[in-house]
Amino acid sequence: MDNFINLLFQPFRNFWASLAAFLPNLFAMLLIILSGFLIAWLARKLFLRLFTAINFDVWCDKAGLTAIIRKGDIWTRPSDFFGRIIYLIFIIIFLMIGLSALRLPTIGNLTSQFFLYMPRALSALFILIIGYIIAGFVARGILIAAVNSGYHYAKLLAEAVRVLLIVLILAMALEQFGIAPGVVIAAFSIIFGGIVLSLAIAFGVGGIDTAKRIIEKRLEEKKEEKGNIEHL
Amino acid sequence: MDKADILVGIASYNNAKTIDHVVRAVDAGLAKYFSAKKAVIVNSDGGSRDGTQDIVKTTTLDHAAMFLTYPVYPAHRISMPYDGIPGKGSAFRLIFQKAVEMQADACCVVDADLRSITPEWIELLLSPVIKGGFDFVAPLYSRHKYDGTITNSIVYPMTRALYGQRIRQPIGGDFGFSGRLAEFYLKQNVWETHVARFGIDIWMTTEAVANGFKVCQTFLGAKIHDPKDPGADLADMLLQVVVTLFNLTGKYFDKWKDIKGSVNVPACGFRYHVGLEPVKVNVKNMLDIFREGVDNLKLIWTNVLGPGDFGEVEAISHQPDDKFRFPLGLWTRVIYDYASAYHKKIMSSEHLIKSLAPLYLAKTASFIMEAADMDHEGAEAEIEKLCMEFEEKKEYLVNNWR
Repeated sequence: MDNFINLLFQPFRNFWASLAAFLPNLFAMLLIILSGFLIAWLARKLFLRLFTAINFDVWCDKAGLTAIIRKGDIWTRPSDFFGRIIYLIFIIIFLMIGLSALRLPTIGNLTSQFFLYMPRALSALFILIIGYIIAGFVARGILIAAVNSGYHYAKLLAEAVRVLLIVLILAMALEQFGIAPGVVIAAFSIIFGGIVLSLAIAFGVGGIDTAKRIIEKRLEEKKEEKGNIEHL
Repeated sequence: MDKADILVGIASYNNAKTIDHVVRAVDAGLAKYFSAKKAVIVNSDGGSRDGTQDIVKTTTLDHAAMFLTYPVYPAHRISMPYDGIPGKGSAFRLIFQKAVEMQADACCVVDADLRSITPEWIELLLSPVIKGGFDFVAPLYSRHKYDGTITNSIVYPMTRALYGQRIRQPIGGDFGFSGRLAEFYLKQNVWETHVARFGIDIWMTTEAVANGFKVCQTFLGAKIHDPKDPGADLADMLLQVVVTLFNLTGKYFDKWKDIKGSVNVPACGFRYHVGLEPVKVNVKNMLDIFREGVDNLKLIWTNVLGPGDFGEVEAISHQPDDKFRFPLGLWTRVIYDYASAYHKKIMSSEHLIKSLAPLYLAKTASFIMEAADMDHEGAEAEIEKLCMEFEEKKEYLVNNWR
């Protein structure tokens, strides 16, 4: 009979023992997450002050980052926007640390994978931001140079270069993210090669008359006296 | 190194075709006008590969054939390559160094590609320093009414409005200066910046004016030099001059903000008009580029000029070619807006200034058509009107600066 009662109560005892062992972990998790919220809030405030001190909003306007944010239908100031991102990153990090405090094997694997992935994700984000700025800079330089040369399709040329660079940057970022790298490289090669090939076909076959006219006009312009005015 | 009373600097780079003439003119000028003074000719070379340096060392002058007397101290010649960043600025730095080392009282610099230099130029550039006590002598040239348009429409009006002194050729290239000013130039911490590469002419003029050195001008006659590289890009030329002009505008804000109007700068030399080669211009090409700019650079120009002034620019682009005019008030605001935008660093300086090129071409085309039937005085009167506009609108720049 005792054996039967023991058999009956053992699961409850085991449950109680597990609960007793688990509860401190749960409290630890809650404490970590709560302190995470506090630290994330403090970090946001700190970064907002730093952003104000270094005129981050003005810098974003100049670099074209504000325009990118606006395209995403976000109308807060860039410093607020990045402040929120920093806040969210802190929350996610503390959430992961908190979950790992539960010492559950599945969650442990998940968090370790998350932290292993973090550097790749951050570097991909870095590539995207810097790449976007560089693409804008190069496209603007080409636009101005083409206008100053009297080239009639300046905007088209600058936009084509911008699109090609963005495709290249996206491929680099996706490869860094580790999202099906083989597929990304293949897709990039197909898209990039496709654009170049279609441009060549469009210009060389479809627009053969236009191409002829443009080349003839350029040759005529070169022959034409451009004047010998001294600007300096 | 021995003391010299006078130093003449010639910055060169592959000028074998013209340097012989320049050295002979300088040597003759020193022998004729300063025969009792110890003089040295310094050729600061940028690594010429066409024998420029050898020509400087070997060029001879038969004084007996030219003058009745020999100079007491024949001019000593030094020809050496300069160190540092390649450019006219680095070449001038070496000349300033030699002037300071030799404790020269009076110095001048002349371009190595000059075809029209005469011995009189040396007297005209040095005498105001030696006899008149001036620290800086800017050149005055007889030029075709269509030449020097960057000077006429940007550099001269802006320098005059900012610093209140009417120096007609602030980027002339041939200058006289005192040993004291050479020492001042040498002490400036600019020799590792863009000034070492380009913009040395406007830098020398502005530093002299802004720092209260005694300034005058001297009439040299026509300036004819070896044809420039026809492939030279206008936008690059604009960049080289305007970057330095705008940098100095930022540096000396506290000095120019309260200056109102302008005063004449004393001028020496005998003024005369010379027959100048006709200048060919292609106004249609200039206006085509301007209209390309209106179509394609709207975002940049709106950002720099504001929607109001961009609207005006857009409106004038619709004028027919033969009646095209760029209003003086609008042009003044364009330049002041660009100066403010450069100061506020709204985009890369290279992109900003190169985006000015189509507007500058429109202004040039407008001036060429306005001055088509004018004589030299008429064209000068037009430039004077523009300068007055720059002076009257200076408050606009001051208000936008902060």
